[in-house]
Amino acid sequence: MNYLTHFAADSSVPLASENVFSVFGFSVTNSMLLGVIIGLIITGVFVVSARRLKIRPGSRFIYFIEITTVFILDTIKTNFDGDEKKARKFLPLFLAFFLFILFNNLFGLLPGMGGTIFLHSGTDQIPLLRPFTTDLNGTLALALIAMSTVWFFAVKERGAIPHIKHYFSILKPWWNPMNFFLGPLELLTELIRLTTLALRLFGVIYAGEVLLRVITILSGNFAWAGTVPIIFMEIFFSAIQAYLFLMLSTVYLAMATTPIHDDSPDSSHSPSDQKMTQVEAVN
Amino acid sequence: MNLSPELVKGLTIGLGAIGPAVGLGLIGAAAVNSVGRNPEAQSKIFTMALIMAGLVDAVMVFVLLIVFTTK
Repeated sequence: MNYLTHFAADSSVPLASENVFSVFGFSVTNSMLLGVIIGLIITGVFVVSARRLKIRPGSRFIYFIEITTVFILDTIKTNFDGDEKKARKFLPLFLAFFLFILFNNLFGLLPGMGGTIFLHSGTDQIPLLRPFTTDLNGTLALALIAMSTVWFFAVKERGAIPHIKHYFSILKPWWNPMNFFLGPLELLTELIRLTTLALRLFGVIYAGEVLLRVITILSGNFAWAGTVPIIFMEIFFSAIQAYLFLMLSTVYLAMATTPIHDDSPDSSHSPSDQKMTQVEAVN
Repeated sequence: MNLSPELVKGLTIGLGAIGPAVGLGLIGAAAVNSVGRNPEAQSKIFTMALIMAGLVDAVMVFVLLIVFTTK
């Protein structure tokens, strides 16, 4: 009963990430440590596989990486109304987002993360590694990068004045007095997007960590069996959240960079055309 | 007024779960309905329903965060 009433945050997973060491007065937390490690791993894997790129993939692993890249490219392209050039322009950023978030989420489920390897400092123990996405600072940084990309390219494609003006001209005659009230709400939406993008990712992954801890405590000696379904659920949620971050940021970017008064439907959407570009991308 | 934190936490989870539960039910109903109408599009509808479920889950997660951060 005691565990049930104090189940979260007080005794198990702390909400804030802890300071592991500091460089020139700049504190390095355990989540930043794992974030840097995973970033280096992903960069290394992609650099090595890019060096070995052939028309026919040499190994199954490189083929798998190509499939992942093409999958992300197709997802972005669908959100950009089949605009291949634009999708390829933004592919590196969104591929990095997707893989970084996915691997951070999945690494949090491995043994050795969170509460296994400890660092002693004085009386209390500090976990050495903690997934980057269970730290609100980390997800807020990711969301800030995504949203500032959106804002930068919106201003670049449309110009600063028309971009500000389109918030205040939603209803058709521009002098409609409701626009005066809807404009600030639309501006607020941008901030809400930033916050929800960060909080959604952080909340789901952090709640997963807490849930795993709670099930471990509740099931006692049978924790090895009790946590198995939760682990599978967490793997599923990791993939869903990474994909959701990708989808939402691309949709925001697509909404912000399309020309403002364009009601004509895009006609470059024939299936054979899409298949051709897919084959090209694989090669 | 003197409320115990356990009561507040329980009420937060209970009341906050109503909205996401209704939302998830609507998503599931709509997905099953549209698969019934158009069985060929099952995979597309399924992925879209999962994305929407992820969006609705976020509301429940905000509730959970409030519960976790309340002492």
